[in-house]
Amino acid sequence: MKTGISVFVATLVALGASWCGFVLLPLLQFGGAKQTVVLQSTDTWPVQRTGAATLGLQAYRANGCVACHTEQVRQTGVACELTLTSLGVQKPADFKDFTRSLFVLPELAAYTNALTASLNGWNGGLPQTLLTSADKDLIAEMADRLKAVGVKSETRIVSTGADVARGWGPRQSVAVDYLYDQPVQLGSLRAGPDLANIGVRSPDANWQLQHLYAPKSVVANSTMPSFKFLFEVRKIVAAPSSDALNLPKEFAAADGFEVVPTPEAKQLVAYLLSLKANMPLYEAPFTPVTAAK
Amino acid sequence: MNGEPQGVTSAEPIATRSAAPMWIIVATLVLLFLGGYYFDRHSGWFDARVYAPYANAENLEAFQPKSGAAAALARGKNVYNGVCGICHGPDGLGKPGQAPALAGSELVNCKGISRLIHIPLAGLSGPITVAGKDWNLNMAAMGAALPDEDLAAVLTYIRSSWGNTASPVTGDDVKKTRGQIGANPQPMSGPQTMSQPE
Amino acid sequence: MNPTENQSFCPDERDASLRVPLLALFGGAALWLIVGLGLGLIAGIKFHAPDFLGGCPLLTYGRLAPAANDAILYGFCIPAALGVALWIFARLSQAPLALPLVPVVAAHLWHLGVFIGTATILLGGSTGQTWLEYPRAAAVLLFAAFFLIAVSAAATFGWRRERSLYPSHWFLFAGLLWFPWIYSTANLLLNCNQPPRGIVQPIIGWWFANNLVFVWLALMGVGIAFYLLPKIAARPLANSGYVLFSFLTLMFFGTWCGIPQGAPVPAWLPTVSIVAAALTLVPLIAILMVAVKTVCGACVSCQGGPFCYLNFGLMSFLASGLLYVSAACPQYSRILEFTWFGAAQTQLQLLGFAAMILFGAIYELMPSVMGRPLPLPKFAKLHFWLAMLGVLLFVVPLLLAGVVQGKHLADATVPFADVNIAALKFLRISATGQLLLLLGALLFAANIFLMTLQWKVGLIKTVIAYIKSPLATTEVKS
Repeated sequence: MKTGISVFVATLVALGASWCGFVLLPLLQFGGAKQTVVLQSTDTWPVQRTGAATLGLQAYRANGCVACHTEQVRQTGVACELTLTSLGVQKPADFKDFTRSLFVLPELAAYTNALTASLNGWNGGLPQTLLTSADKDLIAEMADRLKAVGVKSETRIVSTGADVARGWGPRQSVAVDYLYDQPVQLGSLRAGPDLANIGVRSPDANWQLQHLYAPKSVVANSTMPSFKFLFEVRKIVAAPSSDALNLPKEFAAADGFEVVPTPEAKQLVAYLLSLKANMPLYEAPFTPVTAAK
Repeated sequence: MNGEPQGVTSAEPIATRSAAPMWIIVATLVLLFLGGYYFDRHSGWFDARVYAPYANAENLEAFQPKSGAAAALARGKNVYNGVCGICHGPDGLGKPGQAPALAGSELVNCKGISRLIHIPLAGLSGPITVAGKDWNLNMAAMGAALPDEDLAAVLTYIRSSWGNTASPVTGDDVKKTRGQIGANPQPMSGPQTMSQPE
Repeated sequence: MNPTENQSFCPDERDASLRVPLLALFGGAALWLIVGLGLGLIAGIKFHAPDFLGGCPLLTYGRLAPAANDAILYGFCIPAALGVALWIFARLSQAPLALPLVPVVAAHLWHLGVFIGTATILLGGSTGQTWLEYPRAAAVLLFAAFFLIAVSAAATFGWRRERSLYPSHWFLFAGLLWFPWIYSTANLLLNCNQPPRGIVQPIIGWWFANNLVFVWLALMGVGIAFYLLPKIAARPLANSGYVLFSFLTLMFFGTWCGIPQGAPVPAWLPTVSIVAAALTLVPLIAILMVAVKTVCGACVSCQGGPFCYLNFGLMSFLASGLLYVSAACPQYSRILEFTWFGAAQTQLQLLGFAAMILFGAIYELMPSVMGRPLPLPKFAKLHFWLAMLGVLLFVVPLLLAGVVQGKHLADATVPFADVNIAALKFLRISATGQLLLLLGALLFAANIFLMTLQWKVGLIKTVIAYIKSPLATTEVKS
């Protein structure tokens, strides 16, 4: 490079290109994002937060919770599951024989062990999972074969991955999950568990408050700092307050005193309870667990 | 390194002039090519809906759940919450003075479906005993205005929720019963309903 | 019009013009380094004793961690890099610093901005965006200060005698344009009243973080190293073709990295970053080749002098770059994302690469700029050993903690509490490393403050001598 101008132009082009690609293009593609619809339903997604939860997001931001927690579930793959829902006129023993007769098929060769294992010790209880993690076309073919002998089955789409297996969410997080977050607190370190579905995993507000006040009282060996400054220890006047925390002895306040959450603590817990990402969407389909039991 | 004030030599460094070796330029071009191939396989070509692990839009479309038991149940639940749940309760436990419970009801849990379909299609008025409790209310023909598939879905949902385990109802069943009842049926009475074949 | 055209070159004048700006920039930088490392040490201790200083909301981990990181990057790395860049421009231009008062004002604005930003984060006003936690007021001050320094540097560059460019010119000049663009874009979009909704925010945040922490620090650090290494080794910089190639590929490929593989964004964004990360290997290799060819065979004794700092810094850069690239590979990213691995790589880039290059440069240039040797040369040598040991003890256990944590996280049968416990024993060693780094920073600050003191005392002495001197009746100035 001989002149300052040429350096300037090279820098302009290099940075300008990535600016166009990672700033302008995403703004154009997602800047006007709108709500979407839950798969096979008329519910819109995401759900708008209540006022308390929106204020709670600001408490989350101010206390830097994002330094230790993430709010995104990852998914490494997607698999199909074949579940038996009705045997029709067949008896379980007959069905086992029928299944074994399918082992000669070349496409099932890799799955004979899995099929045998899933039917081992099965005594006819329904629903029964037959195959998991097989490819979609094979599952469809098996479902057709079963239908031909009068056996009803269900194909389920399931997400695979460590985050899903840990119960941190039934699907990966996608862009529209963060539509109403201001600021978006994705997080980059998991010193604490992922919080994308904490509103589904721990929906008890009292547990959340207790965890904030004294993490070690609900999670042994917790490295989370205690957020005592979000609470007020005050003298019990007349009767204990209905908000007072129910703490075990070594964490409870002194006799005659109670621990009461400040409004900020309640807002933060309202925000945590609003964190849910458990509905199937077009971008991340899965078959939800059906029906209220 | 040295502590004298003139620690830094006054001469400025110079750069030896030579061209970059060919091998690094070739290596860069090879990497660019491989990168392009990787982008083609994994990027979904700028589609806003394709997320890893789906390779492209067709792959994503293939994994969308087809209408099946789950879809019907979801649909049935929607209809229930909008139509039946107001009186029968969101948890199927009924409300005293409004509607009997559907959970554990022998009218819901029976093998045959014809009698059950009659109730929303024709309405039910008058004394009836459900799960040991007596009721004497009026139910309008809430299902008469619903399309066949919706009524089938909501009945399937009712028959498989809250502890009920009964077989699903299909749209054809509803259509058949609708044909039997006719266009403007009278609400049935309690004894009339119980004497219906299942 | 070039004011230096007709003047004879006077190195003393050049050094004198640099004195106040550099002291202002480096003095504040040294202070912020201590603050940043100190806050980071407290944050590190909190992992083993979560209730250490627990009652104070200002010292909760979630506020300490971003405050510490920002203090090291914005408080130390950027002003120190700008100071060294001003010196390099002045030396390469063989002219005094243009508009010398402007960087002094800018330095004060910058340090005020960092102060406001740090205080705001600790008081709970962080914006919540990684590397952009400073509020609007601080961001405006930082931008204005950088712009002023860039103006002074550009003027110095424009008034150079030797019109052809030395490779460091490319790197440093690109850096002067890079930061204002990314900083203004990120703040205008994210730190304003109506930021874009949803996932666009983290995308811009990742673009900014990559372009600042990886590319900008690389441009400045490598530019400084490519100036000082040949100078100290008394050998020419090897192969300008390689250097040009590394400059262009670093800018064109490095800028596209940054989007993590598991991000909740459509697949095309992480894919582009993964491809860019693979291509970033090219400038890393090129820089390695240049450094090796320049330095190998040079007979410079190490003994903790600036040469050691620069060598260690460049090696850290290559290590950190390799870690960055390998962490972008999908099969590793699946395990290493969200672990201490990423944090360790960032700290290696900041404290192993940028800080060490800047220490070496400052120890090299300050004696000549101040016109006297370092007040405590033994401290400078001790600082090298403390810093090198500190970086190794800080970063390596953190990397291992990340790998262990990642492996456990990937195994769904391991309960989460055990994941944390497994990482804790490594964090203990890292805290020791942080302590050593803090001690080294104190030694560094001692030298800078003593130099400032000496300069101030010298000023006062000059003023007193002038007052006391007899009036000259007739004097002919030649």
